[in-house]
Amino acid sequence: MDNWKDNKNVFWTLAGPGTFWLVMFFVVPLAFLFIMSFGGKAIINGEMSITEYDYFTGFGNYLRSLDPLYLGIMWKTIWVSAIATVLCLVTAYPIAFGICFAPERWKPILLMLVVLPFWINLLIRTYALIAVFRTQGYVNLALGTVGLGPYEMLYNNFAVIFGLVYVYMPFMVLPLYATIERLDKSFLEASLDLGASQYTTFLKVTVPLTMPGIVTGVILVFIPCLGSFLTPDLLGGANAVMIGNVIERQFKAANDWPFGAAISFMLMFATFAALMLRAFIASRSRGVDV
Amino acid sequence: MSIYQPRFAPSRRTLLKGTGALIAGITFLPRFSQAEEEKKLNLYNYDTYIGETTLADFNGATGIETKMDLFADMDELFSKMKAGNPGYDAMVVSNDYLERMVKANMVTPLDHSKIPNMSNIDPAFLDPKFDPGRKYSIPYMWGTIGLGFRTSAVEGGMLDSWKTVFDSDKYAGKISVLGDAQNVLGCALKYLGFSFNSTDPAELKKVEDLLVAQKKNIKVFAPDNGQDLLASGEVVVCQEWNGDIAQVMVEDKDLNYIVPKEGTNIWEDTWAIPVNGPHPGNAHVFLNFILDAENGSKIATTVQYATPNAAAKKLMPPEYTGSPAIYPPQDVLTKCESTIYLGEEIQKMRDEIWTKIQAA
Amino acid sequence: MATQPKPGSGPLDYGSRLWLKILFIVIYIMLYVPIITLIAFSFNTDKRGVVWRGFTLDNYTKAWNNSALIEAMTNSLTIAFIATIISTIIGAMVAVMLWRFRFFGKGTYEAFMGLPIVIPEICMGVALLLFFNVSGMMNFVVAMPWPLNLANIVIAHVAFCFPFVTIVVRSRLVGFNRQLEEASKDLGASEWQTFWKVIVPFMMPGLVAGALLAFTLSLDDFVITFFTSGPETVTFPVKVYSLVRRGVSPEINAASTVLIVITVVATIIAMKLQAPEKSGKG
Repeated sequence: MDNWKDNKNVFWTLAGPGTFWLVMFFVVPLAFLFIMSFGGKAIINGEMSITEYDYFTGFGNYLRSLDPLYLGIMWKTIWVSAIATVLCLVTAYPIAFGICFAPERWKPILLMLVVLPFWINLLIRTYALIAVFRTQGYVNLALGTVGLGPYEMLYNNFAVIFGLVYVYMPFMVLPLYATIERLDKSFLEASLDLGASQYTTFLKVTVPLTMPGIVTGVILVFIPCLGSFLTPDLLGGANAVMIGNVIERQFKAANDWPFGAAISFMLMFATFAALMLRAFIASRSRGVDV
Repeated sequence: MSIYQPRFAPSRRTLLKGTGALIAGITFLPRFSQAEEEKKLNLYNYDTYIGETTLADFNGATGIETKMDLFADMDELFSKMKAGNPGYDAMVVSNDYLERMVKANMVTPLDHSKIPNMSNIDPAFLDPKFDPGRKYSIPYMWGTIGLGFRTSAVEGGMLDSWKTVFDSDKYAGKISVLGDAQNVLGCALKYLGFSFNSTDPAELKKVEDLLVAQKKNIKVFAPDNGQDLLASGEVVVCQEWNGDIAQVMVEDKDLNYIVPKEGTNIWEDTWAIPVNGPHPGNAHVFLNFILDAENGSKIATTVQYATPNAAAKKLMPPEYTGSPAIYPPQDVLTKCESTIYLGEEIQKMRDEIWTKIQAA
Repeated sequence: MATQPKPGSGPLDYGSRLWLKILFIVIYIMLYVPIITLIAFSFNTDKRGVVWRGFTLDNYTKAWNNSALIEAMTNSLTIAFIATIISTIIGAMVAVMLWRFRFFGKGTYEAFMGLPIVIPEICMGVALLLFFNVSGMMNFVVAMPWPLNLANIVIAHVAFCFPFVTIVVRSRLVGFNRQLEEASKDLGASEWQTFWKVIVPFMMPGLVAGALLAFTLSLDDFVITFFTSGPETVTFPVKVYSLVRRGVSPEINAASTVLIVITVVATIIAMKLQAPEKSGKG
């Protein structure tokens, strides 16, 4: 690896556009958002303005976002995301495992079949679930033929969690597959030879060794779930609101951008906390790194 | 290491020259056609709130290519336009939001000389309080908000009070309400016996508590598709605009609409021209077009709302002019209030209450 | 290195376990049923889209004639195309820079590059909305003719796409033998020539994979575009969203199926091109 000073021209040419882009169109907008989170609607001539904002009216917006109501939603969002992530893990692990142990010629096909839905537009996949779950949807129709009454499967927490699992499951399969594939199978064989049951082997050998992949997968699913607003918006109804919806509402309907900015940053802090947790766990694990 | 001259320079220069020429070329092109407006029009409207053939008819009559974008409620319209007109030429605005937008300098005055068909408007609509002399808008439709419901699923086949959606768990999980603060809070205020436009914080608090408690019985907030949910069986009773319900009543005879006994609001929707629209001339032509009697009647037939266009109304069949859902009888009208824009402070208060309810 | 156990009934031969096979089938079915029903019902005549009434291609013709949908689709493809080109170039450049040089603060810089991937999309969307408005770019760009009025959306897409390209290209570069580069220079080639004739051909599979990744990300993006689009700059997912809020309709199914087909084809091409991943070949 060269020292950048040896070839400054090349270095700056290569680094220039990317850095400029990120600074200009990523860091600067976020900075604007941060500044706005301290603002409020301007008071012009004694009357609250419709379109103008004051900058720096204090921490009011952050205080408001710490109101139990919004903390409650944040908590609920974390909860829902956690459940969805765990469910993803539980369904993705057997799949990844099975693909690894499948006959060679099946592997790429099986892998592609799992990944393919991931490439299909998130909106379309969520929309597909509406038709499946609503009162006159396919599942209820099918249940109806055997006489089971229509169940309310849409516009509630169940729908949101299922939607999140459905949409993000492929995200979980890939890192798991990567780790399990690189796992030295002789470890498992050794464990079984030494008399451990399949179950024990799984718990005490396989899982710890694949922990990095698990952690990566968990992060890849948990964070988008935290910030998702499309899924709860389309599938959630009145009572399955997540923090993403609250943010969206501030910028669209409620017309309160400073407050929306403040909540956005609360969400980002939660995201970073999750990432630091990941780094912490990863640094302590001794498994095969992804 | 190697000290060879990086030969990026020449190729970089040629690349820059080429791109510069390309961009210059492209930006120069439209200058020639900016003398007259191009034959395009961008509208912003609710869904299913225009005649089935209106846009095609307009295109046929004038050659102007028309696009219509959709919003679900006034809040969405307002927040989108507030951030700067992204390119709309004409929009549908309710009376109270028009007041708000006029105050915020978001609409331009109309050139009445370009809209001769204004003579078709019923005189009662020509000088409203929210837009004296119709300086900024033309009236489009007016109506009420009430309850749409499925007669076969409702006890006694009839409802009469806002209690069903705001204060009762009788149809829990099968209720939908509108999606904006103004209309939900306003109707709830009416239910509690207060004014639709109340600014009293104590009264608003009562409404907030009422709705927070009721929230668990509400299935979904449906800003503009309550009637679809009603028709597909997702909900059994919904708070909706009268015309939306009238539209599905035509297809499904099991559905009905009433104005609750506590009263409701009367709203008027208008067409207005936002500032910084790219084609204001075409917008005026469009406004004139829909004020025409024939076109107006086609619109009314599709949307099933009450039209303020006297000439169009004359062309409508008796099922329309006599329908209580569309033209409420006098005793109902006395219980209704018009929505007023109450100033930004009150708006903010209501928005905060609304956010709390949504988050509850 | 893992030895592949013989197919049969060895203790590690999970592949032939019945419960695993059943689990597989169940999960794959659940994964695909909504999509398949979506595609199947795009051929349905029933307007409410629930009961199968008859086969028809009407929905496709309606979608095709729906000029708003077609325009949204055109916008999506244009944006994706332009954003992909820019992202791939920028992303590859950063990847080469990171691979080749060490410098003070490199770790921080790498983390910084990873930010757009990690930040919740909604935060980035609202930040860009705010930025475009305050800086006046929104008004400026919107007044421009097509395709320049798509500039804001393209800029936004590039911002979150190119870090992905960087990662993909960088992982490809890991296998590059620097001696080839040195040999080229020793033989008299300039930096530029070495770059184009030695490094780039090696990077090519990574470039293609990165480009396809950027393309799909851009084509599919909803959240960020939702906040930065206007009436003349509607993209396909945003348009579908406004239709979907009204409920289920076969026309949306038809339009969605078309998008699915495009995406699937692009993905299959990408995976086929990824497959011959033998390093060292120039």
